[in-house]
Amino acid sequence: MAKGESPLKQFEIQPIIDINLFGLDISFTNSALWMTVTTAFILIFFTAPFLKSKKTNSVSDLYPSRMQVAAELGFSFINSLLSDTVGKEGKRYFSLVFTLFMFILFGNLFGMIPYSFTFTSHIIVTLALAMGVFIFVTVLGFVKHGVKFFSFFVIPGLPIYMLPLLIPIEIISYLSRPISLSVRLFANMLAGHTLLKVFAGFVSALGIFGILPLVFIIALTGLEILIAFLQAYVFAILTCLYINDALHLH
Amino acid sequence: MPQLEQVEFFISQLFWLGVFFVILFSVLTYITLPKIRAFLNKRDDFVRSHISKQDELIKKAESIIENYEAKLTEAKNQASQIINDAKDEALHESERLLKATEEKIQQEIKLTESRVQKEKEDALSELNTQLKDSATDFISKVTNIEKGNINL
Repeated sequence: MAKGESPLKQFEIQPIIDINLFGLDISFTNSALWMTVTTAFILIFFTAPFLKSKKTNSVSDLYPSRMQVAAELGFSFINSLLSDTVGKEGKRYFSLVFTLFMFILFGNLFGMIPYSFTFTSHIIVTLALAMGVFIFVTVLGFVKHGVKFFSFFVIPGLPIYMLPLLIPIEIISYLSRPISLSVRLFANMLAGHTLLKVFAGFVSALGIFGILPLVFIIALTGLEILIAFLQAYVFAILTCLYINDALHLH
Repeated sequence: MPQLEQVEFFISQLFWLGVFFVILFSVLTYITLPKIRAFLNKRDDFVRSHISKQDELIKKAESIIENYEAKLTEAKNQASQIINDAKDEALHESERLLKATEEKIQQEIKLTESRVQKEKEDALSELNTQLKDSATDFISKVTNIEKGNINL
């Protein structure tokens, strides 16, 4: 963190390996590197504890190890999230919500490591995720209900003369879902990391009084870790709610 | 802001996001999550089977307690029956003894009374003869008549 460096410099994409495929630049960048780290960590964290299958067939097989308990915690967390919002049918979309939540959560958390890169702080990444969810949910709605899916935009029990006003509003709110979903995550990550960097700049600038922004940074780091969890949770629970809407309309 | 300025890396970011998301999703769906689910199911099954076994054992224990209590009340009834019988028998026996003793005493009294009566009579008759003798003696002495000739 050189003096005078922009607080936004941390979000710069730096290519590590230049790759060009059919004229498209798909360079392996620092963003891709941290996606690799995140993916590898999630897969190891959740798979490794369950690979060693003890075959003693005794009761001790059933005692989970520490790592198994940790993995189970994540599993049952998403399980209860889905069953609370969607219900029994939600089990079919478990792996989608689980993947989304864990990918965003560990992407956010690894972004808290100094000198790392937060790929969720890029609007293109969060927008792609949100659009993915949006398209999936819309297709799901049409597959489940066919043309009746359009009745989703008609609020039941409303007087007829209100419909011309409210149907456009409903459609706009539906179409803005991916934008709100992606911007919420992106803006939270951007703001948090920028704020940390700005206050980090104060530490060296203020000399001995730099201790004050340093204390603030420590507290803020804790808050940022909370936000990393919270935003992943919000993304996951909104995905669940959208799935619920697509399955049950109103 | 690099997020909006580095447009040249949009394709790269989308590409790698797609790659890693698909890898993560596939491996989680087909390997990891089934493994976790199997593990949890195994434990749930174990717990469930033990709960049902426990219910069975509780039922068994309850039936045993019932059986025990039934037997206990039966035994208590029997015991009180035996005690009552014994009491009755004792009462009868003592009454019988009392009666027998009374009868014996009555008999003794009667016997004694008759003996006294007889002794009294004997004494009276003896007194009579003695009086007769004395009277005869006195008369013969006074009158000088031989005893054999005096007839009272």
